[in-house]
Amino acid sequence: MNVLRGRDLVGDLSLDVDAIVVGTGAGGSIALRELARAGLDVVALEEGAFSTVADFDQREDHMLPRLFQEMGGRATEDMAIRVLQGRGVGGSTVHNTNLCKRTPDAILELWAREHGVEGAGPAEMRPGFEAIERDLSVSLIEPSFRNANNDLLRAGCEALGWRGGPLAHNRVGCAQSGFCELGCAFDAKQNALKIVLPQAVAAGARVYSDVRVERVLFEAGCVTGVQAVALDEAGAPHARVLVRARAIVLAASAVGSAALALASGLPDPHGQLGRRLRLHPGGIVAGTFDRAVEGWHGIPQSYECTEHLSFEPGSDRRVWIVPAFAHPIGAAATMPGFGAAHMAAMRTYPRLAVLTAMVHDETSGEVVVGDDGRPVLRYRMSDADQAQLARGLAACARLLLAAGAREVSIPAIPPRRVRSVAELDALDLSFARPHAVPLTAVHPMGTLRLGEDPRRSVVRSTGEHHQVRGLFVADGSLFPTSLGGPPQISIYAFALHVAPHAVERARG
Amino acid sequence: MRQDSGGPAGTKLGRRRVLALGAALLVLGGSAVAVVRTRGYAVPAGRTLVVLSAWQLAVVEDAARRIAAPDRPGDASIPTPDALDVAGFVDAWMAHMPAKVRRDLGRFLGYLEHLAPLACAMTTRFTRLGPDEQDRVLSAVEASSSDLLRAGFEGLKALVFMGYYRDPRTWGLVGFDGPQVGRPAEGWR
Repeated sequence: MNVLRGRDLVGDLSLDVDAIVVGTGAGGSIALRELARAGLDVVALEEGAFSTVADFDQREDHMLPRLFQEMGGRATEDMAIRVLQGRGVGGSTVHNTNLCKRTPDAILELWAREHGVEGAGPAEMRPGFEAIERDLSVSLIEPSFRNANNDLLRAGCEALGWRGGPLAHNRVGCAQSGFCELGCAFDAKQNALKIVLPQAVAAGARVYSDVRVERVLFEAGCVTGVQAVALDEAGAPHARVLVRARAIVLAASAVGSAALALASGLPDPHGQLGRRLRLHPGGIVAGTFDRAVEGWHGIPQSYECTEHLSFEPGSDRRVWIVPAFAHPIGAAATMPGFGAAHMAAMRTYPRLAVLTAMVHDETSGEVVVGDDGRPVLRYRMSDADQAQLARGLAACARLLLAAGAREVSIPAIPPRRVRSVAELDALDLSFARPHAVPLTAVHPMGTLRLGEDPRRSVVRSTGEHHQVRGLFVADGSLFPTSLGGPPQISIYAFALHVAPHAVERARG
Repeated sequence: MRQDSGGPAGTKLGRRRVLALGAALLVLGGSAVAVVRTRGYAVPAGRTLVVLSAWQLAVVEDAARRIAAPDRPGDASIPTPDALDVAGFVDAWMAHMPAKVRRDLGRFLGYLEHLAPLACAMTTRFTRLGPDEQDRVLSAVEASSSDLLRAGFEGLKALVFMGYYRDPRTWGLVGFDGPQVGRPAEGWR
């Protein structure tokens, strides 16, 4: 795939095109492809770098700076929740673990019923989901591909009689190396980078990496283009970029798109921009087994537990459980304590199984723009969501004990360790709150949400901004609520839903 | 070098006051810097710093020695943070972080060097304490009642372990066989 690198620009760049896509992840790649296939002159502008398979060396210290926002160090403003987000051509589809689940029907129905989203019900979205799944070769992971960590989750579910099952993935020719979150060195991921963006480029689209969009330009209620800067090898601006177009698609994530919208001074008569941020915050629980687990080998996430997950609003069952094994740097940072005791604990690394309880959150956070122009994520987990977190951590512990763990540890200061169900039942879980347990989020959503009522939403059901004609959103920003599961298929499919409307505007 | 922490009640009150002061200074930003003495530190010969100052490097070096301390003292097969130049890695890593994050780290290091020992009833700066005292200080910060200070500790800890466990010489310690890509014929271990 031919990608134009902003770092190679020798002077300022000025372009006139039909449409601009900001961001090249799941949503941006689909929007770009559909605009190009409609015969339009379209460019994608991506802040991050362009990586190829040869760049993915499976080293945490090398890939975190290359593939993640803020070198993997992005966090909520209060530093309670680490937020891992992709950066670079292909966005988060480059580092995600390939989980493929459609937006649950109950969620789509909720959005229609309570958030005024039209034309995106289960029946209307089904063809889009099917098309995306074909494009990405989505299939269920075979049991023979299930690694020991995932198999312990299955064993725990079966022992407890809890609901669980295999997950579907978008991978072909997987070498089971286990380094999915650092980019696939074997080119097995059927993602935006490998599949969708090349299709877009083949249809005539241009992709620029290392170009950061700083402003959306608009006049008289219509978009006119974007103002951007090209970044050099060190990430410093070295050239100005101005692109004019009739249609612009924001697909820079629920954080990036919202921050750009705010920085651009878009009309916001009802104070909706950047609001209702959802994160799916998750905590982890580790079980120590008497045999080797070596959870870093094989597909990281191939089995799920949905016993504690309901999509009904207000439900007290809002926890999704999947394995969450980390490589040594991530494991060391999460493991409680320090010094000799920490190193001794790290020596049990091969015998650990790790699960995460991800909260299908109702907390309403916010993205704002800081004094330095960077996005700031404000998110204070609600009491109800904290209760779900505690419920989820207890459920993870119960699963690991049921699977035969000799000891189960919830990282905290001090760590909570139990060896039996009786000890778990006696454990006071009120400590399980942000700052007391390490929390990670990988699914920012909301902030520019869909809906027909401009007082409660930012974009129409078509994805077009309520007040600015020709400005569309095609990423996780669109979602009026959290999903309770991996968002990539939803983002791809909603970009497909939005794209025809962007095509219409781009044609003038 | 160990110092008595005094009576429980008085110590508790003192800690709260000092921690509250530290947290307030951290929040107030620039004022924290004003109270931090930064003289009397030297950059090691041959070392060129990227973003850390001499005193910040010294704090990171000392903290790294305790955070990544060996579980088997004297075992020569366990690489030391100094041997892996963990502090140098942190300096280089921070150069690519946003300015605000660098500033926050600097403030936290200032707290750790000068105020955190006071919270443990120690009147000596962190880098002049012995290992046991440094462990006590770090434990106190790790378990602080201030979310901000705990987050600062976790951030420093993450940086130190990034610098430590990035090195193939540490992978054998934890039974990790390393990346498949570029793996030497004899293995990373």
